[in-house]
Amino acid sequence: MKVKIGFEIHLQLATERKMYCDCPTNYQDVHPNTNVCPICTGMPGSKPLSPNERVVDAAIEIAFMLGCEVITDQTVYIQRKHYDYPDLPSGYQRTSLPIALGGELQGVRIREVHLEEDPGQYDPVAGTVDYNRSGVPLVEVVTEPDIRSPEEARSFLRTLTRVLEYTGKVRPEAGGAMRADVNISLEGGGRVEVKNINSVRGAYRALKFEILRQREKLKRGEVVVRETRAYLESQMITVSMRGKELEEDYRYIPDPDIFPLILDKARVETVKKQMVEAPHLREQRLVKQYRISPAAAGVIVSERELADLFEAVAKEVDPKLAATWFQTKLKKVLNYMKLRAADIKFTPNQLARLLQMVGRKRVTPEQGELVLRELVKEPAEPEELLRKLGLAPLERAELEAAVAKTLKENPKAVEDYLKGRKEALNFLAGKVMKLTRGRADPRRISKLLRAKLRGKGKRRKISRRKARSRVSRA
Amino acid sequence: MGRETLEKLDAIRRGELSAVENVQRALERIKKQDKRIKAFIELNPNALAEAEAIDRMLKRGERVGKLAGLAIGVKSNLNVTGLRATCASRTLEDYVSTYDAEVVKRVRAEGGIVVGMNNMDEFACGSSGETSAFSPTDNPAAPGHIPGGSSSGGGASIAAGLCDLCLGTDTGGSIRNPASHCGVVGVKPTYGLVPRQGLIDLGMSLDQIGPIAPDVQGAALLLETIAGKTPNECVMLDVERVSYMSRLEGDGAKGMRIGISPKFAELTDPAVMGIIDGAVEKLRELGAEVVEVELPNLERGLPAYYLIVSVEFFSATRKFDGRKYGKRIEEVCGEEVLRRILRGRYISRKEYRGKYYQRALQVRTLIRQELMRALERVDVIVGPTVPKLPHKIGEKISVSAMYAYDYLTVPANLAGICGGVIKAGDVSGIPVGLQIQGKVLGELDVLKVMRALEAAA
Ligand SMILES: [Zn+2]
Repeated sequence: MKVKIGFEIHLQLATERKMYCDCPTNYQDVHPNTNVCPICTGMPGSKPLSPNERVVDAAIEIAFMLGCEVITDQTVYIQRKHYDYPDLPSGYQRTSLPIALGGELQGVRIREVHLEEDPGQYDPVAGTVDYNRSGVPLVEVVTEPDIRSPEEARSFLRTLTRVLEYTGKVRPEAGGAMRADVNISLEGGGRVEVKNINSVRGAYRALKFEILRQREKLKRGEVVVRETRAYLESQMITVSMRGKELEEDYRYIPDPDIFPLILDKARVETVKKQMVEAPHLREQRLVKQYRISPAAAGVIVSERELADLFEAVAKEVDPKLAATWFQTKLKKVLNYMKLRAADIKFTPNQLARLLQMVGRKRVTPEQGELVLRELVKEPAEPEELLRKLGLAPLERAELEAAVAKTLKENPKAVEDYLKGRKEALNFLAGKVMKLTRGRADPRRISKLLRAKLRGKGKRRKISRRKARSRVSRA
Repeated sequence: MGRETLEKLDAIRRGELSAVENVQRALERIKKQDKRIKAFIELNPNALAEAEAIDRMLKRGERVGKLAGLAIGVKSNLNVTGLRATCASRTLEDYVSTYDAEVVKRVRAEGGIVVGMNNMDEFACGSSGETSAFSPTDNPAAPGHIPGGSSSGGGASIAAGLCDLCLGTDTGGSIRNPASHCGVVGVKPTYGLVPRQGLIDLGMSLDQIGPIAPDVQGAALLLETIAGKTPNECVMLDVERVSYMSRLEGDGAKGMRIGISPKFAELTDPAVMGIIDGAVEKLRELGAEVVEVELPNLERGLPAYYLIVSVEFFSATRKFDGRKYGKRIEEVCGEEVLRRILRGRYISRKEYRGKYYQRALQVRTLIRQELMRALERVDVIVGPTVPKLPHKIGEKISVSAMYAYDYLTVPANLAGICGGVIKAGDVSGIPVGLQIQGKVLGELDVLKVMRALEAAA
């Protein structure tokens, strides 16, 4: 049975000020009803300010991120959507008509992007309302019903959140919270809308439940009616929303107290020029431009700052080497230290120099990783860190001296090796390592040892021959 | 004639009359007469203290504002910190303002002293002053008759000399209508000239705050004080400040092109029209050129207006849900307020929006274009303000008869243009006001015509 799933997703924009007043938006950090004014509490006679420009710019950026076309040089009305709820101080919520249309993300078409404002927070148990959140800007992303399964939905939502968080323009909500309405229909059944979804996991579970419910109904030959249902997080089921909510007519009117938005082309172009590249687009570009593997590119773009760092480093060293290091070592070190790329304090140059040393085999990958760890902990020049760690690369002479000394002090092992007991080489290499306090590349040690031993073997054969001839002459 | 306001300001500045004396007298007159007139709902207990502060400044020789020491009445749909903005409704009877409306801030900054909150039609929904939840207001110029509305208290206050100037609001004629019935001066400014921050809404796309005054200079002075944009409001014209006072006199009406329309006589009581014709004749004598203009759709404005205002009012009143202010508006309001809410609720429904609301907006565009075209040919359009004389208080009239008071005033609101009213004469002692409609930001022309008539009276 063919499944069609579409989303309406709300995300808070990370501006400092609310949408229609100057109150701060950090509503979680302050006491209830402290980030408020006559405007965001809907006091009689209050009028909205002009829409916060930063909100509009952020929405434009998000629209571009999702590959939408921004509607320019046309009036975009901000409407009043009327409904009665304690968290809504004026009895209506302001919501704009689409500011952008027709995008695509991960194969899912984006129908539109528009602006809304958050209501306050109502506590039905205490019967209180906190208006700190009232007027915090939201962006709503509406998709076409292009998603085919709960798994696809989950993956889409994750990508969407990642893409939007990448812009730095949406407020990352604690614990991956998000607000979404989802519509789902099975072939032969009506379209069902599920409200009240608060997380990616919630969306997945609600969809699983709905598909099961609708499929069973259709199997029994029953009708799946077009309706609105609510997801009950605690029970992981959906229930029909009956009565009032269904007949609801929002009686939209353009808000007479706000000039409609007109996004002029020049402004939109400026936003586009200054905005960050969408991660999925950047991933594709990195693969092409630096000829790195899609897997590495995927890891690199997972955080904007990581990708920025990569591109800075890739200018100085072989991009493939850098990509491997980002994908395996750097990400590992960051994860181990529970850090985000944004927390990195070392400079791209410092990392580049470390990778250059690795590239020229001045340090081993193992040593490099030790230095990298130190670099993350306490940034400094890699050379300095090598010294600090006692890993300053050996001069050839020093290594040769160590090898010579080892060979001299371990005649038995030399003898064994020359007799064909190859494992004696490891013993000797270990001795050299010890002498050089691990600063030399084991591969280099083995190579040098083998060369010297080969020389010894030859010399010995020659001397034996000479001895024999001397005997014969005698 | 018409020097009253400026003479009083001079007297206060020269120390011949103290601000305290002026406010004291206003309060005494209110105390004595307002039991009968009911022009005020609440008085400002700090008025005398504020007047004392002005006197102290004057004594120290400090600069005072241009309204220094004047007693100002404020319509009860405007917020004044510490006073109740009741909108003359039970819905907000306990609502004490926590902030000053922008216009009130400006009045206070210029030394004006708010003496109290004026009575009005409930939520400004009315043209008679009878729908106040507290009491109807009498017309001091024609006792026993309605003072007009909805700025009934403002019109009556000025007519009775209870205070010096009043702030009214006009959505479909609510300043001009009482100015006409009470025989005083009133101006509805161009939409977007005066900030509405702090005005409790009736129809947001139509509402405008303006002056009610005993003379043209008083109205001009108050309008200068309150006009001009503020960064705290979105829907405003790009006008910093206006100044009229120095340019009011000049050549008077001489050389001005004045438009009249045959439509006015069609819609107006002949007795009222007779007075208006006399005023037009006077303007001609004063050197104005009188030109006929076409306003074929004028009367279509009224039904469109009532649809638009109802939809906006419905939206504006959703906040009076009983949660924050204790009473749900639908449960405690009067008939007319309820009628508008229900009408607004009905016609904003999805299925009726196209049929009623959209069509009303089209008519609005039509009226606007018509008036704009006419005003391209003339400086101002003059005519009657209200098509008939005010009825007696308590007299039962039909809803449509009540709405018919607004035929001639709503077009200016629909078009967003300005309009002023000045007394043109009376019919058996009942004042009749001449309405002068001006272009967008044409306030100076309107005031000049009004001043010319006033000076010639
Ligand atoms: Zn606020």
